[in-house]
Amino acid sequence: MRSIRKHAAITLAATAALTLAACSSSGSSATSSSTGNKHVTLTWWNNATTGYLRTVWTQAAAAYHTAHPNVTIKSEPFQNEAFTTKVPAALAGSNPPDIYQQWGSGQEATQVPSGKLTDLTPYTSSWIGQLGVAANAWQVDGKQYGVPYDLHTVGFWYRKDLFTKAGITSPPTTMTELNADIAKLKTANITPIGVGSKDRWPDAFWWEYFAVRECSTATLKAAIKADNLSAPCFVKAGNDLKAFMATNPFQKGFLGTPAQLGAGSSAGMVANGKAAMELQGDWDPGTMTPLTANKNLNAQLGWFPFPAVAGGAGSPTTALGGGDGFTCTTGAAEPACADFLKYLDTPAVQTKVVAANVGLPANPAAASALTLPAMQSVQQYNQAAPFIQVYFDIAMPTNVGQTLDTAIANFFAGQATPQSIITTVNQAAKTQ
Amino acid sequence: MSDTRSVTATAEDAVAVTPPIRPARRSPALRRRLELTVLLTPPLLLFIGFVLLPIGIAAYYGLYKWTGFGPLTNFAGLANYKIALTDPAFQQAILHNVIIAVLSLVIQIPISIAVALLLNRGIRGRSVLRLLVFAPYVLSQAITGVMWLLILQPGGFADQLMQAVGLGSFVQLWLANLNIVLYTMFVVLTWQFIGFGIILLVAGLQGIPVELGEAAALDGASGWQTTRRITLPLLGPTIRILIFLSIVGSLQVFDVVWIMTGGGPAGASSTMATYLIQSGFRSYEFGYGSAVAVIMFIVCFVFALVYQRFVLRRDTRGALTRAVG
Amino acid sequence: MTDVSATLEAPAIRPGPTGHLRRRRRISLMTPLTYLVALLIVGITVVPLLFVIVDGFRSNAQINTSATGLPHPWVWSNYRSLLTSSAFWQPLANSAVIAVIATGLVVGLGSMAAFALSRYSFRGREGIYLLFAVGLLFPINAASLPLYLLLQKIGLLDNLLGVALPEAAFQLPITIVILRPFMRAISGEIEDAAVVDGATRIKFFWRILLPLCRPALATVSVLAFVISWNTYLLPLLVFTSTQHFTLPLAVANFQTQYAQDTAKILAFTALSMVPALGCFVLAERHLVGGFSGAVKG
Repeated sequence: MRSIRKHAAITLAATAALTLAACSSSGSSATSSSTGNKHVTLTWWNNATTGYLRTVWTQAAAAYHTAHPNVTIKSEPFQNEAFTTKVPAALAGSNPPDIYQQWGSGQEATQVPSGKLTDLTPYTSSWIGQLGVAANAWQVDGKQYGVPYDLHTVGFWYRKDLFTKAGITSPPTTMTELNADIAKLKTANITPIGVGSKDRWPDAFWWEYFAVRECSTATLKAAIKADNLSAPCFVKAGNDLKAFMATNPFQKGFLGTPAQLGAGSSAGMVANGKAAMELQGDWDPGTMTPLTANKNLNAQLGWFPFPAVAGGAGSPTTALGGGDGFTCTTGAAEPACADFLKYLDTPAVQTKVVAANVGLPANPAAASALTLPAMQSVQQYNQAAPFIQVYFDIAMPTNVGQTLDTAIANFFAGQATPQSIITTVNQAAKTQ
Repeated sequence: MSDTRSVTATAEDAVAVTPPIRPARRSPALRRRLELTVLLTPPLLLFIGFVLLPIGIAAYYGLYKWTGFGPLTNFAGLANYKIALTDPAFQQAILHNVIIAVLSLVIQIPISIAVALLLNRGIRGRSVLRLLVFAPYVLSQAITGVMWLLILQPGGFADQLMQAVGLGSFVQLWLANLNIVLYTMFVVLTWQFIGFGIILLVAGLQGIPVELGEAAALDGASGWQTTRRITLPLLGPTIRILIFLSIVGSLQVFDVVWIMTGGGPAGASSTMATYLIQSGFRSYEFGYGSAVAVIMFIVCFVFALVYQRFVLRRDTRGALTRAVG
Repeated sequence: MTDVSATLEAPAIRPGPTGHLRRRRRISLMTPLTYLVALLIVGITVVPLLFVIVDGFRSNAQINTSATGLPHPWVWSNYRSLLTSSAFWQPLANSAVIAVIATGLVVGLGSMAAFALSRYSFRGREGIYLLFAVGLLFPINAASLPLYLLLQKIGLLDNLLGVALPEAAFQLPITIVILRPFMRAISGEIEDAAVVDGATRIKFFWRILLPLCRPALATVSVLAFVISWNTYLLPLLVFTSTQHFTLPLAVANFQTQYAQDTAKILAFTALSMVPALGCFVLAERHLVGGFSGAVKG
């Protein structure tokens, strides 16, 4: 009766496994109610999967633990794109991570009704003023639900050596000049612009910057507030983009190129000299470094802002940007979490973040640590900007923002028109 | 094989003349009902709880607009369903599933049949061959997706291999070209699943008695005639099951597509399942996602019912009525 | 399938050893063609797998220079670092635990249900069987979102059981559909004999019927195990913390986390294939044998 014993064995094993599984359920735990003497473990979802920032975070977690031995921070980096599905799932579930990546604004506002975001106001009111106005983007209804650690401005990151090779002496300041430069690069057999269309949001940068140039600040603010893109300047932006794309400025197969993943991404292309520039956030240098063996990269990188668009109602110095931050979820670990986020904004950590070339510091005190000349240009542009428009997919409620990203991506694929983008987004906003 | 005989042996010997009688039991009907309850309740609970209940939940949530947190307050009736069915992106996804299903029938099945017939001819190393042909099926679709994602990178393994054998001019942007990407997915799926079909057909072929072919040969039938008039018809039930499994599989495709393209670019490789996950999770629209899930269920269910009724019925009828013992 | 063979008598010709339809061997075009097709199939199947396994032994520099070359020199660090870290073993263990639980549950409960549905006659029997059979038509992928919501409600998210239980539930239909005809085919006389000897029906089930159904049980076990092992979407939704990830999930996640380390991803992918391929080699007999049985009946 070997088989009967086998059946018994299987049943026994299954029962044992079942018991084990039931006992080992659920992830992180917080066993104390303050940073007192009970031990607390915080799960920390961040997007620093590679590069120097990953090291910075690991060091920060370790340093904080040394200073507060009863608090352990467990860093769990996920690829940036994964957050769009992981965070909604986690917030709807019963065991969200203690800390997770937060881009603020409308997206944060969509998450607040879950009841799982900690209102950090009591913990932050004493110090967050140091960060300046930027921290307001992480408030919802006047309450601080997130804390930024860096700020961003989107612009062109370009290879100075490739520009020189194509005979371009200085970066363009108007669209006409940009188009001329693109032609020069093509003549020199260099792919003018890399774009990570696969991830959709890089496409959105293009449309949004044309919108920022065509629309006045008042129009932009009103549109975001009302979730409505009916103003005519938005269609004009789409038409501008259509005309621009008609010159074929992007790399071959751009629809399948990711933004940051691997040497074949748009960031990797610029890093390896396969494309001359890309329109990206100021995290780009930090993203590019691990994607290439080129040690000279930082010296070769330059930055210029999005050019002026003739006839646009917007100012040529308005910036498109945003920032990264973190949110704490409700639970016994709140005080420890809030304190850790404060730690990340101290000059000690902020200078390291700056050194990773992943963005501008949230704490202005660390601005002097910016070494990369290109980053200094970004910082100056950021400070001088009369208005900073947060990326639309973050500024608007999440479902509207995602719809916009998808509509623009479809536009890039030739499957949508400047008008249909508007219609689709307004529709999504209405069915909110 | 039973070792329960021994105890009652003597009693039986004592009444050897009369035929054995069933030992009396207290209220046999009650006991039987108890047994049935014990036997059927756990499986039914598990099945109803995790298979049928989710459908019910989806149908219910589909009637609401719901972000996934908080109570269901925003009753929307059939609005979600209407939006889904009129959404060009969803229609495109359904179309893609249908294309994959049709291609499976038109390309995979004939190839599987041809290969199974050939493999059945008794060549050396047949068991190793069987192993190799079936191997891709046991791999996770997710792992297959990662593997092919790396192989199909622009200028990667596939491209270089093609160039090396002189097919360089046929190299395409396998994952970035809107017009090709869906068919790239189909090729990857074929790679993964065709072995399963071939093995299933070989098993079916092995059930066909060899005397039939030999009798046909005696009657002067050529190989092709034997195949067409005897083998294929007898292989019919197997083929019909394979068609069923192929279509149901095509309607469910997710893993490979999600990992390789996420349904892109611009939805060119989307399927019902990728659309479901994107619309449901990415946009905090769980009510809408539930409605999409219900639609997906209905599509699969209706197809299967229709197929069962009109195609499989005559195959299963014999199986169901096969006498016990 | 009707039984035709009994009507044909061909005393001079014995059935072939494998009992299948076969042409007399002849020097014909078919034999080289068969070998060619076989070679083609082996090539198409094996080459991608070989690529993954072999390129795990190269460095990224080697791969970037030429994707189709052989390792030169052989790099052991990729495989070594994976085999010595929990990045591989933890998901492997998770996958194993879930698969064992799911398989145990589905085989246990499935055989119970199949037994009830095959050897008892009661009103509503065919109705219950139909209920289970209908489950065959439900794709687990479509149920993923509502399942997620259900698991959230009962608090089984981020829990291994949250994956094992639904997997078992979705495997019940095919298990019952395969087991029932097998159990039906057991002669009623054996059961009567056992009953006469004082065995209860349950005892008959446990000690006689199940051992007799061993081939079918092996098939459904292997099927359930393989399908559980390879499931991706449900664990993707259920698990928020990486420590609970199953192997397919870990591979996909690894690919996004270490995107530029192509060699390491390939090594990880190759390692993940080993359990599946290994078990398959061991259990292949049961899988294919079971299909013959299922197909016939």
